[in-house]
Amino acid sequence: MRTALLIAANFAREQRWPILVLLLWVLVMSGLGLAMDVRRDREDLLAMFKQLAMYGLAFAVFFGGSAIHNERKSRRILAVISKGVGRREYVFGLLIGIVFALLLYCICMGLTGTWVLGPGGFSISLLWFLMLCFLVACVLAAAVAVLFSTFMPPLFATLASAFVLGFPIAAGIVLGSAWGYLIPLYPLLHLFLKANFGMRWRPDWIPLTLAFSETVLFWLLASWIFAQRDVAVALE
Amino acid sequence: MLEFENISKEYRGWFGSRTPVRALDAFSLCVEAGEIFGFLGPNGAGKSTAIHLAMGFMRATHGSGLMLGRPFGDAATRRRVGFLAENVALYFRPAEKLVRFYGALNGMRGSYLRKRAHEVLEALGIAEEGRRNVRQFSRGMLQRIGLAQALVNDPELLILDEPTSALDPLARVAVRELLLQSRNAGKTIFLSSHLLSEVELVCDRVAVLHHGKLRRLGRTSELLQSSERSEIVARGVSANLFAGATARDGVVAFTVPAAKQRDALEQVWAMGGEIVSVNPLRRSLEQIFLQVTGAKAEGSKSPVTS
Repeated sequence: MRTALLIAANFAREQRWPILVLLLWVLVMSGLGLAMDVRRDREDLLAMFKQLAMYGLAFAVFFGGSAIHNERKSRRILAVISKGVGRREYVFGLLIGIVFALLLYCICMGLTGTWVLGPGGFSISLLWFLMLCFLVACVLAAAVAVLFSTFMPPLFATLASAFVLGFPIAAGIVLGSAWGYLIPLYPLLHLFLKANFGMRWRPDWIPLTLAFSETVLFWLLASWIFAQRDVAVALE
Repeated sequence: MLEFENISKEYRGWFGSRTPVRALDAFSLCVEAGEIFGFLGPNGAGKSTAIHLAMGFMRATHGSGLMLGRPFGDAATRRRVGFLAENVALYFRPAEKLVRFYGALNGMRGSYLRKRAHEVLEALGIAEEGRRNVRQFSRGMLQRIGLAQALVNDPELLILDEPTSALDPLARVAVRELLLQSRNAGKTIFLSSHLLSEVELVCDRVAVLHHGKLRRLGRTSELLQSSERSEIVARGVSANLFAGATARDGVVAFTVPAAKQRDALEQVWAMGGEIVSVNPLRRSLEQIFLQVTGAKAEGSKSPVTS
């Protein structure tokens, strides 16, 4: 576990600039939000908030889809896995690193949402539950992207992730909501997207539990595939 | 310590998109404990492939191997191994912190890790640069940091791929001393290098790999010593009597086939000459290398033929 945490911390350190830009973007948007008339423009502010969340989801796929490839391409992976680091631990470390980055993003969004949307009458408890759903959705998306990153370059890994994550959403919309639970991104984001001021809600833990379980499955599958892969192709 | 058992490795494209390339072909080798083993071969011979297989970076197409008694790829075993890759690539951060990071990945921690990190940096002559970010380092300095991260866990087995390629002569001497000290401390060193003079100086045994096959294996001293010719140095004879003889400072030196050594000695004595020395002719590792690999340049990899 300690090794995975070291790899996670290292990943977050290496990705510090994209993470900082992401956080800065949230702060800039919240600054703009605070400058607006919360009572009058609260629907616009909520739309902006939802838009920010979508950026986070895109970043999750981007981080995950490029994580292993970038390390292989730079050959920095060799010095890491030449130590007592198993392939499963390595992938786990990368995932924790991504979760850490997304957690920071979610906390930042939650705090700014509380400052900006709270005074407009948005339920704070709903907002933090949405943040939890959003975090779990992002981690699931990142796990899928990491899975493809084990054997695809970033562009293809991102496209494949978008397809795999998007198919149940499309099927959920067209064929029925049950299809959305195949990879429960849709049920997690649905609540987020339809959230509004004065909305009556109660927490639904089923998609969260399902998403968490599938994240573990995708991690195990990614680890297994990565263990079969040649990490280094000789320079010669 | 390190054992390759009939290992083959083929590189294939996805869905047969390129001709398979066989980098290693039924390769077997056993490295004994406590020796410095030189691993030689031209570019494309399969040296790095063999090393990467041992480290578990890739899987063999056929065959298997053991490192410290465990199958290749065992993560726990790698904690007892130090590895330096060719063209080492490291994260950009202060040198000492970086070495500590790699040590921590091997399960080291606390004051012992800090002490070891400082010790290896000192041994490599870069302790004073410990606070500088490796981003600012020259290639030679980076190579030393690469060596430091390989040595920080005080490994039983050290696998080094071109460890002195970017180093200046002084640093090379320091690394050579370090390798010899490690060997004397009971460590095993598997050293892949193109610097034949370095290998000749430090290695107990060498193997020469060519086109993925093991072409020559033996003790360095035995390989360098030719059983085919001897050099005779004599005084009081004319240089004209022996083919290829050279005269200098009153002595004549010439070489003869080992089978004719006795005849040559008797000839010197018959002419009233005096034998100064008789030595088996030593070859350089470079000569052996060229002989094994062929003097002319050849393709780097052999396509697999059915």
